[in-house]
Amino acid sequence: MATTFKTLNSANDVTSTRTLLHEAIPLTGTIASGTYDDNNIKTYSHGMFESVYDYPVLSSSANHIFDISTGYASNSAHATSSSNQNSKKLNIYSQMAQVLVGYDATGSIQSFDRDGDIADGGDKINEAIFVNFSRLLTKDEIKKGSFSMSIMTGGAPTAVSDAMTITDDGAASSYKVNSPAGEYGILYTGSAVAGAGVGLVYYQAGVAVLSGSVFAASQMGNGALVATGFDAIATGSNIEMMADSFRNRLTNISFNNTVELNSTVYFCRASHNEFNYSNNPTYLSESQIRVKNSTTDNPVSYVTTVGLYSSDNELLAVAKLSEPLKKDPNTEVTLRVRLDF
Amino acid sequence: MAFLDNSGDIILDAVLTDTGRMRLAKGDGSFKIAKFALGDDEINYELYDKNHASGSAYYDIEIVQSPVLEAFTNNTSMLKSKLMTVSRTNLLYLPQIVNNTTVGLASNSTNNILTVLVDQATVEDSTIAATGDYVNGYRIGDTKNPIVMDQGIVSNAIGDGSSVVLDADLTETQFMLEIDNRFGNIWDAKGSSQATPSFVDDDNVATYYLSTSTNKTYFGKSGTSMSGEVITGPRGARLQFLVTPSVDLNSSTYLFTQLGTTATLGSSVYQIDTTVRITGVTTGYRVDLPIRFVKKA
Repeated sequence: MATTFKTLNSANDVTSTRTLLHEAIPLTGTIASGTYDDNNIKTYSHGMFESVYDYPVLSSSANHIFDISTGYASNSAHATSSSNQNSKKLNIYSQMAQVLVGYDATGSIQSFDRDGDIADGGDKINEAIFVNFSRLLTKDEIKKGSFSMSIMTGGAPTAVSDAMTITDDGAASSYKVNSPAGEYGILYTGSAVAGAGVGLVYYQAGVAVLSGSVFAASQMGNGALVATGFDAIATGSNIEMMADSFRNRLTNISFNNTVELNSTVYFCRASHNEFNYSNNPTYLSESQIRVKNSTTDNPVSYVTTVGLYSSDNELLAVAKLSEPLKKDPNTEVTLRVRLDF
Repeated sequence: MAFLDNSGDIILDAVLTDTGRMRLAKGDGSFKIAKFALGDDEINYELYDKNHASGSAYYDIEIVQSPVLEAFTNNTSMLKSKLMTVSRTNLLYLPQIVNNTTVGLASNSTNNILTVLVDQATVEDSTIAATGDYVNGYRIGDTKNPIVMDQGIVSNAIGDGSSVVLDADLTETQFMLEIDNRFGNIWDAKGSSQATPSFVDDDNVATYYLSTSTNKTYFGKSGTSMSGEVITGPRGARLQFLVTPSVDLNSSTYLFTQLGTTATLGSSVYQIDTTVRITGVTTGYRVDLPIRFVKKA
């Protein structure tokens, strides 16, 4: 019986694979602090965070790349009613902590822990700057061990100095898994040293949490602000001003993102005695096969397309070869079609 | 839809079709790939030069240089022609499917296309009805002739069709019919029962499967018993059916004004042109039959 379809054997002709793809994401500081004269910065009337775009916000080409916010814990020294936007800073910290750190046995929100050993107590990050990256950049997750952020921690607002580079050193092989938001690493200013962390980076959530202490002994603020240390700005300025100050000291962020591709591979095998004829209208002339002169000539056909069908012959996927592939009774062909999900 | 880069190794460019994505989105398990077919849509076998002066290695030199287009996602636009498996290698002739207008519905003598009159007013307009043969979309049973498709070898080089039967492994036992479900439905030759589509895809194309074993009223006499034939060589199956207008075409001019045109066919009429695709499931041979729905303006 002539046929145009061949059934795939699920045991021998179909297999699944998983592939991780990485892209390098470089974000230079000028994009956050001046390339577009701050037209790529979006602020909100609620004042709880500000967004950075890769192009002026009013352009349809603009892509949202990350948000900046700040906050502190209720046991922070800054948590007083006289602090500027005190309740909003508390709310931001609590919201981020409940999502990224979770709750203790009593249902209380836990604080960010400097070394990730939450159960052990220890040193907490009570004042934090949050950098929430867009999913457009992080895709499925930030690649462990690839995160780097450079900031200027000293000098006057108009003459920043004291460059500091923060990385998740060693996280490729050593990272934390005790967060409800997935895996995270510790951010260090140099090599990984126990207790020396200055922040956390949550790989799947795409959030960097930077301790305010990196600025504590230096000056912070931008041109519009009085030059002062982080402690003073945390109480005297609102979140938007703090975010402005931070992004004007941000010189570089880079990381690799990760896309997890789950693929199914279909091995489409054409044996020597299969798919040698065609029902292409040009294959026949007055019903005679054009590529044959006599019955003893071998039939020939040319493959350009592979169609994958359901059991009721619905075309579900299609693959094209880059050039025609000759098929005759002297050849056998296996075409490997990969569908990514 | 660009050409694929063919300067290096052979690569495969694979995409889900729109129907595939729809099945996947449903999440009901209907996205299940069970079989494959190979196609050769871009190949023009007329370029195969069996008399090339440089020998057999050059017969297909122009074919293998044919550029191949990227895959695109419309399921009805891909794999229009498929490669066929027949274990024998000694075939020199293959059957085709031909519209038989001798015993079946003839093209309307005025507009030269198979015509369906969609409602009572159109059928009862004597100037329209006098323009030629048509399917009576108002009373389907009153249609004089069904659409007839004959399968066979259109050459008598291997024998006359009245005495030689088409090989059993090349004879169609099932046909697949596809029609835009917004426009029409498939009925049997006498207009006594409507066929049920196997599925309707995301582009509103309904697919019907008609089998010689379970849909006998859709098949006429076959092989050497066939009469009024247009095929001179060995004959296989004869499919006969009717196309009736949808309720939308019958009761409204909406689709005509959206997708059709106006013309004069005896009287002023709305018309929509579409195709009914007939595919032999055994050989995969396929014919796109142009058809016109006409409604009195």
